[in-house]
Amino acid sequence: MEYFIAQIVNGLAQGSIYALMAIGYSVVVGVVGLVTFTHGEVIMLGAYASYYAFTFVGENIFLGIIAAFFASWFIGIFVYKICYERFFDSPRHISLICTIGMSMLLKNLAQIVFGPNMKAMPQPIALNFVNVLGVRINTIQILIIFVVLSLSLGLYIVNNKTQWGIRLRAVSQDKQASALMGINVRRTAMIGNSIGCSLGGVAGMLIAIYYQSILPTMGGSLGLKAFSSAVLGGLTEASASALGGLLIGLIENLGTSVLSNSYRDVFAFIFLVLVLIIKPEGFSKKVGG
Amino acid sequence: MKKTFTVLTAILLVLVLLAGCGSPAPEEPADPADNGATGDAETYKFAVLAPITGNYAEYGKGFEVATQMAADEINDAGGIDGVMIELEVFDSQGEPTESADISRRVVEDDEILAVIGDFSSSNAMANAPILGDGGLVQLSPTASHPDYAGMNEYMFSIMGRQDSEAPFFSTHLLQRFKQAEAVGVIYINNDWGESAHANLTRQAEIDGLNIVAEENYVEGERDFNSLLTKVRSTNPDTLALIMHANDVALVANQIAQMDWDVDITALGPGTSMQIIELAGENVEGLLLSTPFHITEENEEAWAWAEEFRSRANFEPTVHPAVAYDTVYLLKAAIENIDGEVTRDAIRQELQDLEGFVGLTGPITFNEAGDITRLYLIMRIEDGRFVQETDFDYIDQ
Repeated sequence: MEYFIAQIVNGLAQGSIYALMAIGYSVVVGVVGLVTFTHGEVIMLGAYASYYAFTFVGENIFLGIIAAFFASWFIGIFVYKICYERFFDSPRHISLICTIGMSMLLKNLAQIVFGPNMKAMPQPIALNFVNVLGVRINTIQILIIFVVLSLSLGLYIVNNKTQWGIRLRAVSQDKQASALMGINVRRTAMIGNSIGCSLGGVAGMLIAIYYQSILPTMGGSLGLKAFSSAVLGGLTEASASALGGLLIGLIENLGTSVLSNSYRDVFAFIFLVLVLIIKPEGFSKKVGG
Repeated sequence: MKKTFTVLTAILLVLVLLAGCGSPAPEEPADPADNGATGDAETYKFAVLAPITGNYAEYGKGFEVATQMAADEINDAGGIDGVMIELEVFDSQGEPTESADISRRVVEDDEILAVIGDFSSSNAMANAPILGDGGLVQLSPTASHPDYAGMNEYMFSIMGRQDSEAPFFSTHLLQRFKQAEAVGVIYINNDWGESAHANLTRQAEIDGLNIVAEENYVEGERDFNSLLTKVRSTNPDTLALIMHANDVALVANQIAQMDWDVDITALGPGTSMQIIELAGENVEGLLLSTPFHITEENEEAWAWAEEFRSRANFEPTVHPAVAYDTVYLLKAAIENIDGEVTRDAIRQELQDLEGFVGLTGPITFNEAGDITRLYLIMRIEDGRFVQETDFDYIDQ
């Protein structure tokens, strides 16, 4: 029993990170209206931003969050300017292919600039253990769950209680109508894209802290997991995407606890396929974009 | 302004993609049937296949630096009978598909007389049929899968085979030295890992070593928490990790995060500083086996290590040392050739080479094209590798 609770905790910690990546992804897809393939690289660059902040300024978790958040924010603007803004009125696949190219560009640049080797990630919080229901949980897992919850709450407040959020949601729902209402659609889409990227960047920092290591090629599989989680959430709904991420994390960890660890991705993607067969709109209440 | 920016970005994109491919396009394509390539030009050219980027970049970089060191030394001393050595490095990214693609190009390049590499058994084995058909020697410094060198007569390896290292690990390191009572084995799910695991468990059964868990994972895995939780539930006192340096460090870190007090041993990474850099005090006391370790007492090897450090900016493991030896092996083989230096003549002379002593010890190929090595037991102490000598069967 304790064994399964421990595996559930592992799944929750990993699922929370997937959830944060997926929330970011769904915000990007929601406001821009296009699928992105650079999210994995944005996650990686966020992680590197916090790595350099920890190394050169100080090992403070808030500093890391701020560094990852704003670095990814600017990457988001860069990606938006190159891949989306110019192609707003072009066929959708042009932006999509542009994001694939951008992902390769960022990954290869990162290998040149940061070096191809895996590096040790500084640890901004001390490792301690807390007993919960007889299961030992470490402070890093608590930190992850706490940061993910706070950021999700922050996003919820921005989305529902501020002018910005209302604009974001309006653009997400209908770009033409928003424009007619006097909303600057391009600017709002850019900010929305940056918010999504920033959440991904912070998720990158958490992953690097959790695994105590950082690597330029870490983004590839993570971007795919973020995409899968967001698909489970109907692509554009943040809360449903978060649920998708959590479930993928849990299923992976419970699955590997019964069968071999080599089947980790098999569990994740079989689950994805099954959900899409049974409920094509995912966990979303509305039909996804 | 906007347009200029876009054009610049596009150019940058193309450049980086080209750089990412890592290797220049082959020169004039030659007739594929022409296998009797000769090196009668001013240089003897060898291809170095190594994972310069990707998961095994540390080892690939080591290959690049060490082979160039050997080539520079030979060229500074006048080359091979006056002919200089030239190395062309190809980045196989640790991917068998990439490595096989490079092999096809290399086979068609008449100037290339032999291939040094690739790093992993999976890559070397993927290349074996291509290079064998092309009549080109693949001299791998590190591939240790027992089946590799026997795949065809052009395949050679000087690392020693897993069917000697893994049994050594089981009998001497785990059972006699460590006196492990319950061992959990975690291995990487690729050609090399499967082979090392099979050889280790076979010997463990003969030795009566108690193995309580055997778990594998796929390359590129970073989350070992659920796997470790599972192994932990079988209560081992020792873990045997069959994997490379990055993964050993990831596992050791996650063991510390679980607050699990278990002894760690590692088969495969060699004395890689990357383990210590990535995992720090979490790998204190870790035991591993290696065929070769450089100590200050061995002046020649120490001077070599100094030179390597100044060029590469990191400590050498056994891997660059064996890569260094491969260049001298090819030199020795070419020196023995009477008449024209061809790809085939190199193969023949490598196979027949006798009395070669390299940086890592004597090397004489057996019929299959690989060698048998002796192994040392190392321990990590205060962030350094220390050779264990306190056991009575040290000479074995």
